[in-house]
Amino acid sequence: MTTLRQTWAVTRYEFRMQIRKRSLWITTATLAVVLTFSQGDRGPRHLPPGTPPREVMASWALLMALLLPIGFGMVLADRLTRDRRLGLASLLESLPIGRGALVAGKYLGGLTSTAVPAALVLLIAAAGETAHRHDPALFAWAAVAFVLVTLPGLAFVAAFALVCPLLTTAPLFRALFVGYWFWGNMLNPDLFPSLTGTLLTPLGDYPATWLMGERALYAGADGWLQFLRPEPGGAAAVAAIALLLALSIPPLALASPLLRRRNLSA
Amino acid sequence: MKHLPLWRHELRRAGWTACAAPAAALAVTLALTATAAAFGTARPQLERFLLTGLEALIPLAAGMAAVAVVSRDPSRELQLTLPTPYTTTLGRRLAVLGGLTATLAIAFSAALAAGGWWTGPGLPYAPLVWAAPLLWLTGLALLVAALGRSVVLATTTVAAIWLGEQLFAATFATTPGLRPFFLFMTTRIGVPTDWDANRAALAASGALLTALALMLLRRPERLLTEEET
Repeated sequence: MTTLRQTWAVTRYEFRMQIRKRSLWITTATLAVVLTFSQGDRGPRHLPPGTPPREVMASWALLMALLLPIGFGMVLADRLTRDRRLGLASLLESLPIGRGALVAGKYLGGLTSTAVPAALVLLIAAAGETAHRHDPALFAWAAVAFVLVTLPGLAFVAAFALVCPLLTTAPLFRALFVGYWFWGNMLNPDLFPSLTGTLLTPLGDYPATWLMGERALYAGADGWLQFLRPEPGGAAAVAAIALLLALSIPPLALASPLLRRRNLSA
Repeated sequence: MKHLPLWRHELRRAGWTACAAPAAALAVTLALTATAAAFGTARPQLERFLLTGLEALIPLAAGMAAVAVVSRDPSRELQLTLPTPYTTTLGRRLAVLGGLTATLAIAFSAALAAGGWWTGPGLPYAPLVWAAPLLWLTGLALLVAALGRSVVLATTTVAAIWLGEQLFAATFATTPGLRPFFLFMTTRIGVPTDWDANRAALAASGALLTALALMLLRRPERLLTEEET
């Protein structure tokens, strides 16, 4: 069996395990409903008629990105650590599949299984908006917003949520992740030095700003690490996406040696 | 002294990461404050951030840790056969976690006061800065963990409410129905006249949530979480 086929097999099983997880759907649905009804006057529901569909769906994608990745991070936090807890680590070690394929499969399976509810939420939002804006292009822009705003951040969160618990354990990671999410995505950089508004914001601030044509949250706002805060635009959005995807690789590369050390010390 | 080995055992069973979470929260607070100081942030901002470590980060860490304490025990079936009710055992572990967190928070507050960095209320009300939100968030985490039987659901609920109150702080501060349950009143507003009412509401409702959770946890099937099935 080639590494590619091994990875595909793990991806399929991981996806099927995750997609059937009750808590994944309950948390996604609850967070989406809470965000929809608490969005305030600046939210996408209150955009005036005639607003371009690109702007409407980018606004929805950004709104959902405020909290949905928190739930996804919580779901994925124990995916690599649970094998040892459930006594499966030595069994997995005895299989011909390599650790690299196992990690890649778990990552891709976890990423796709969390991407499905995130995409569904945006499609439902597009359906709701179509009902009173009567513009089928909203569905196409929902797909674009999902790929540009939601997916890169999700890829970044999934990589760290999968691997960091190998170092910190899942409970400690979950606590630190929430603090990081607020500090690195939402804390006004004017008030305190933070990563908010930089290219490293997994919230999707730069791509959303590009799609909306105006600053979505803090993208490019003055603050700490000024070189990571270019003027928002197409090139900056592409750079933000590329950086997030590139930063997802180091934790995944570290996962195999971490797993090896962990499983051999069992 | 004869119960000391029992408490030491419960400390180990609670897990080192659960017990390390509040310490990690304070370490993060200090690291971020030091970074901010290095970038020339004004002293009032630094003081407020140090207080945020106590009022916001310590309760968040304790809430997450409490979920971990009640949701995992490899010898749960054995525990259920013992004459000591399992909820008593869980209560002991939560007490160990609470005691550790309180010790750390008091030591941190004392260090801030000694260094002239404390901006919260004076004694005897100072511990309510962290104790009231801690009780509320922990109670909520335990109740959702018992109701939903899912670590993911419980931790996400705590995270969402914590982030929601941070994001919509102005709404919580100005809406009469929400103000008693505003977790971050000290760091976001200060110590207004209704501060003690806010702390009393948080502490009382937190105690109620915890009691409800412990009542639910008396039913053994509530102890089986989704992650183990």
